[in-house]
Amino acid sequence: MSSAISIESVKKVLGNREVLKGISFTVEKGDIFGYLGPNGAGKTTTIRILLGLLQVSSGKAYILGQDINLSETRRKVGFLLDLDGLYDNMTAEENLEYYCRIYGVLKAKERIDKLLEMVGLEDRAKDKAGTYSRGMRQRLALARAMVHDPEVLILDEPTSGVDPSGQIEVRQIMLDVAHKENKTVFLSSHNLDEVQRICNRIALIDRGEIKLYGELESLRRGMGGSVVVIELARDIPESLLDELKSLPHLGLQEKKDKSLIFSPQAGTEVSDIISLLAGRGVKIEEATRKEASLEEIYSSILKEVEPS
Amino acid sequence: MTDIGPIITTSIKNNFRIKVAVITSIIVILICAIGIALTFCLLFIAPETAAKSPDISRLELYLSLIMYITCLLGVGVNLNAFAFQSMTREKSRGIIESLLATPLKVKDIWIAKSLAVFLPGLVLGEVFAFIALIAINYIYFVPSIGFLVTPWMVLSSFVAAPLIYLCLSLLVHLVGLAGKPATGNVIIQILLPVIITLMINLIVRNVLDAASWTFTLANLGIAAIVGIIVIVLQPRLTRERIVLSLRS
Repeated sequence: MSSAISIESVKKVLGNREVLKGISFTVEKGDIFGYLGPNGAGKTTTIRILLGLLQVSSGKAYILGQDINLSETRRKVGFLLDLDGLYDNMTAEENLEYYCRIYGVLKAKERIDKLLEMVGLEDRAKDKAGTYSRGMRQRLALARAMVHDPEVLILDEPTSGVDPSGQIEVRQIMLDVAHKENKTVFLSSHNLDEVQRICNRIALIDRGEIKLYGELESLRRGMGGSVVVIELARDIPESLLDELKSLPHLGLQEKKDKSLIFSPQAGTEVSDIISLLAGRGVKIEEATRKEASLEEIYSSILKEVEPS
Repeated sequence: MTDIGPIITTSIKNNFRIKVAVITSIIVILICAIGIALTFCLLFIAPETAAKSPDISRLELYLSLIMYITCLLGVGVNLNAFAFQSMTREKSRGIIESLLATPLKVKDIWIAKSLAVFLPGLVLGEVFAFIALIAINYIYFVPSIGFLVTPWMVLSSFVAAPLIYLCLSLLVHLVGLAGKPATGNVIIQILLPVIITLMINLIVRNVLDAASWTFTLANLGIAAIVGIIVIVLQPRLTRERIVLSLRS
């Protein structure tokens, strides 16, 4: 069974600049895939390649195992680009009807009504898109992306510029689309919280290279994501601190007042740290394991590649 | 070719929603057409028909010129008013990029956008030219010499002249899509007066007879030249080129 999206060693050169430097990743069917990266990292270029708007300089890109430049493949893809591409002078219904005609959607009226209800715009169906707020426009653009019932949705920063309540609505629509309608969602976003909330897999791109890729949960674990914080009853001597630092499997990161923060290596449990400290006569008040947030993973990865 | 009907009708509707541009272009065409018709009628046609034996070939020439210029104005003014504006708007708002991501072929989008600007102008120009033909005939010719019309007159005004502008519309939209819409606008700003001036000069200098086949042929020749330029440039119209032009 083919992946929903497959990118293999894709390079893209624009002018003299190598925008994508041989990136590879796959998005499986049913995934909500978060594509993260700072501005200028190559996110939009990747999306444009996936939509067949730009050609790869080398490498291969497939959607549902098919060449992305085929008309047949385009029919299976819905999209929302950074500019929504809606006609301001046309109503929500007219905008959707236009794309229904382009895609040759049968029973267009029924489909339009269903989509407008899904994105919560049924009451504003007869209003011109130009009168909509940014959040409503994004919801309408999401509906438009789904007029032809695509298998894969490619969304470029769908909540960008949308107020918090609008973001929640757009996010809920994306979740509904993925889970209830069983679509694959490729979501490019700056919003780490959003990605953390809804995506099961992510890729982090920076300066045209994939820096991190995989299932979000395993990345959190594998990235030394889990941090153990030990609250001490009283301060420990410097000699003990030096000893703890010399034990790499504990991964002592820092000491803050009466707290010791460890980033233990795989295989080292909280109980191991507690036993070791107790064996040295250290009194422990509290021990907690904290999962690293996506923001922490993101920052640590980008810090690693920061030029010196 | 896929069904480009929805793009043509939607683009025409959207162009027509810019009321200022629609009203301005209709007024400009109307004033120019009436001005040209009145000038020719009062200065040349009226005195000629009042003569004892009017020169039919000269009357055919005047009538041909009125119809030809009226038709060119209709198409030309419309092209001038809408091509640049609609292209700039649709590129800057992501409408073109969204269309490119659909199964539509680039060629279909280009042809549809060109026709959306060309067709309303064609209708306006041909309606005004037809009104001029009927009105002048019934006011000046029918009472004395009968209804005056030649096949070449009709072909030049209703077929050859619009064909020039169809090719120009394709060229302007090709340049506007693959590059900057402003460049397309410059092309039309230069070519519209150049073509009209050239043809009128050739007629005034008796190189061409506006009521004869040579005039029709000359117009078809110009259309062919512009058409060849379009065919040569057409391979440059790719999704990638259009998308990259959006960044500039």
